[in-house]
Amino acid sequence: MSTDILSKAQAIMADILRCPPGDLQPETSAADIEAWDSLTNINIIVSLEKAFDIKFALGEIQELANVGDMVRLIGEKSS
Amino acid sequence: MPMPETIETISTLTNEGQYVQAFRMIGEAAAPDMDFLQSMQLSNALESLPLEALSLKPIRIAITGTSTLDQFSALLRFRLVLAGFMPEIHLAGFNTMGQSLLDPESELHAFRPDVIWIFTTYRDFMPLAGSQGDVDASAHVDEAIAPFESYWEAIRRNSSAFIIQNNCDVPADRVLGNFECNARWTRNGRYREINRELPKRMGQGGTVFDFDAMASMFGKNAWIDERYWHHSKHAFSLDAASMVAHAGARLLAGLKGQSRKCLVLDLDHTLWGGVIGDDGLEGIKLGAGAEGEAFVAFQEYVLRLKRRGVVLAVCSKNEEANARLPFEKHPDMRIRLDDIAVFMANWDNKADNIRTIADTLNLGLDSFVFIDDNPAERMLVRELLPMVEVPEIPPDPALYVRTLDRLGLFETVAFSDVDAQRGEMYKHNAQRSTLKKKFSDISDFLKDLDMVSAIGDFEDFHVPRISQLINRSNQFHLTTTRYSESEIRSLREDENRICRHFNLQDRFGDNGLICVLVLEDTGEALEIDTWAMSCRVLSRGMEHFVFNHVLELARKRGRQKIVGIYKPTPKNTIVAGLYEKLGFGKESEDRAMTRWVLETGSAPELPHYIKTKQQTTG
Repeated sequence: MSTDILSKAQAIMADILRCPPGDLQPETSAADIEAWDSLTNINIIVSLEKAFDIKFALGEIQELANVGDMVRLIGEKSS
Repeated sequence: MPMPETIETISTLTNEGQYVQAFRMIGEAAAPDMDFLQSMQLSNALESLPLEALSLKPIRIAITGTSTLDQFSALLRFRLVLAGFMPEIHLAGFNTMGQSLLDPESELHAFRPDVIWIFTTYRDFMPLAGSQGDVDASAHVDEAIAPFESYWEAIRRNSSAFIIQNNCDVPADRVLGNFECNARWTRNGRYREINRELPKRMGQGGTVFDFDAMASMFGKNAWIDERYWHHSKHAFSLDAASMVAHAGARLLAGLKGQSRKCLVLDLDHTLWGGVIGDDGLEGIKLGAGAEGEAFVAFQEYVLRLKRRGVVLAVCSKNEEANARLPFEKHPDMRIRLDDIAVFMANWDNKADNIRTIADTLNLGLDSFVFIDDNPAERMLVRELLPMVEVPEIPPDPALYVRTLDRLGLFETVAFSDVDAQRGEMYKHNAQRSTLKKKFSDISDFLKDLDMVSAIGDFEDFHVPRISQLINRSNQFHLTTTRYSESEIRSLREDENRICRHFNLQDRFGDNGLICVLVLEDTGEALEIDTWAMSCRVLSRGMEHFVFNHVLELARKRGRQKIVGIYKPTPKNTIVAGLYEKLGFGKESEDRAMTRWVLETGSAPELPHYIKTKQQTTG
C-alpha cells in the first residue's frame, strides 16, 4: 500500500470526518468513526475522486468497506 | 487567495473574535459556482461563527423531495446565511412528499414553514413517454401536473407558506436523437411542455424554480452522475449543489424584499475601454473592435436591467464634462443620460458619492450594487460601506455580463408594470431633489418646475382616488372628514355642495390627484367642509392655488364670506395655522374646533407659480 496515497487520503478524510488523521488506519471502517455515515461516505468518495483524479465504478463504491480498500483502489486506478 | 489560505485567515479572524470580518471574508470567497468541497469548507468555517452576533433575519424553510438532499440542505443553509438570513430548515423524510404535504398533521406542517420547497426532478413528473399524437401529449401533461396541483392546494389549505416548485431538469438522453426536439409527443418534448405549463398553473403565493436552467448552466453531462443516483439517490451532482443553493437563496432574498434596487456604475473601463479624460471620444474602446463590442454588450445588459426596474446611477472620478461626453456624443453608447437617475462625476471619494446618491434617491445603501473595474475603489467602498454589494469584477470585459448576471442580485417572484416603471419614478424624484439643491432662491426653483394643476369635480373615474385621499390623509386634512364612495357620489349630486379635485404635474412627471375640496354653500358663505391634500406636494404653492380657486368661486356666487374650519387631531397640527396664513380671522375656538372667517370683498389672491388646466367650470 502506498504511504503517499494513504497519508493524502487520511488528510482528506480527517477534514470531512473531523477526526485526527491517525484515527484512520487501513482497517478503520465506518463502524469505528462516529461521523462516518452514508452521507459523509459520499462526501469522502467525491473528495477522493477529485483529489486523485479518478472515478470509482458503481460496483466499486458499493464494495469499499474500509480505508485500506479505498487506498488500494486509488492505487490501482492511479497507475 | 487560494482556498486553504482563505480558510486559515477566516479561522484566525474567528479565533480573534472578529466575527463580522470573518463573515465578510467568507461571503467574498463564496463564488456562486464553487465545487462541493470548497463549499463545504466555507460552510464549516461559517458554522464556527456565533451566528447570533450577525443580526440575521429568521426564515423557516421546509424541503420535501424524492432524492437525497442532505448535502444540498446544508449548502442552502450556508447560502441563506450569506444572504442575511438565520435559517431553520426542515428536510422531510426521504420520499415522503405526498404524506408531508397532504397530511395537515405532518411534521412538515407542524414545523410552520414560511416557505415550502417542493424539490422534484424530472423523474417525478411522468414515468414513460406516451405514443405519437399531440392530443395525447396534452392529456399526459395535465396528468403529470395534477398531483402537484393537489399538493399546492393542500399547502394553501393548511398554511400560508410560499411555494417553490421545481420544474423538470429535461434529461440529456435522447432516444430519438435530434428528432427529440422536433415533436411535442417525444419524452423530452413532454418535459418541455410541462415546464411551460407549470408557471401558468402555479397562481399566487408560489413560484416555479427553474431547475432546468440550473442543469443547463452547470452542463447536463456533468449534472447527473448516474453512479450517485443508483448508489445513494443523489439526483444531481454535488458539485452543482452550491450553485443551486445559491440560486435558491437569492430567490428567497428576492421573496423577502432583500433584492438590490440600484446599480451604481463606474465609467472608465467599466462602461467603455480606456479613460475618457485621456483618450478622448475617438480613443475610448466602444463599439468597433472586440473589446469595444464587449463594452457595448455590457451596456446593453445594464440597459435591460434598467428596463426591468433597476435604478441606474453613475459614480466616476472624472471632470463632469468629460464623463458626459460619450453619453452625449459617442455613436455607440447604448446607455444615455436619460437612463441615469443620478450622475456623479467628480474627484471626491466614491463612498461619499454613493452615500449622496442614496440620499438623493431616498434608498437604503443595503439596496445598492457598485460596479468598478478598479480593485482599489472596490476595496474602499467595501470597507466604508459594507452594506453595499461590491462584486469582484474580472479584468476581462468579455466576462462582465456573466459575472453580474450569475450573482442573482435582482431576483423577484412577481413582476408588474410598477416594477418596470420604478426606474423612471426614482429618476424623477432624483431630478426634483437635485434641482432643489441648485437653487438658493426657492422661488426660482418653483418657477423652474413648470407646475400645472388641472381642476375637476368628483367624476366617477376619480372617486376611488378621492376616497383614498379623504379617508387615508391624516396630516394635511383640516377637518378629518371620512366619506364612503357612495357618500362622495352623493356630495357630487348635492346642489348646495361644490366638489373639487386638483392634480399636479411638473416638468419631471405627474404627481396625480393630490388635493380634494368639499365646500358647502350656506347662502351667506362658502364653508370649507373638507380640504385634504397629499403631503408629497407641500410647500409648492398648492395651498395658495386652492385658496385662490375658493376665492374665485365665492366671488362668482356673490358670497361675502369664506368660512374655514379646523378640527385639531394629534396628526394634523401641521395645518393648525393654515387659515391664519391665508388671511383668515379667528371667529371662535373651543377644544373640538376653530372657525376662521375671511371677507371676500377685498381679500387678495395669493402668489404661486402653478398654471391652471381647467377641466370643469362652475
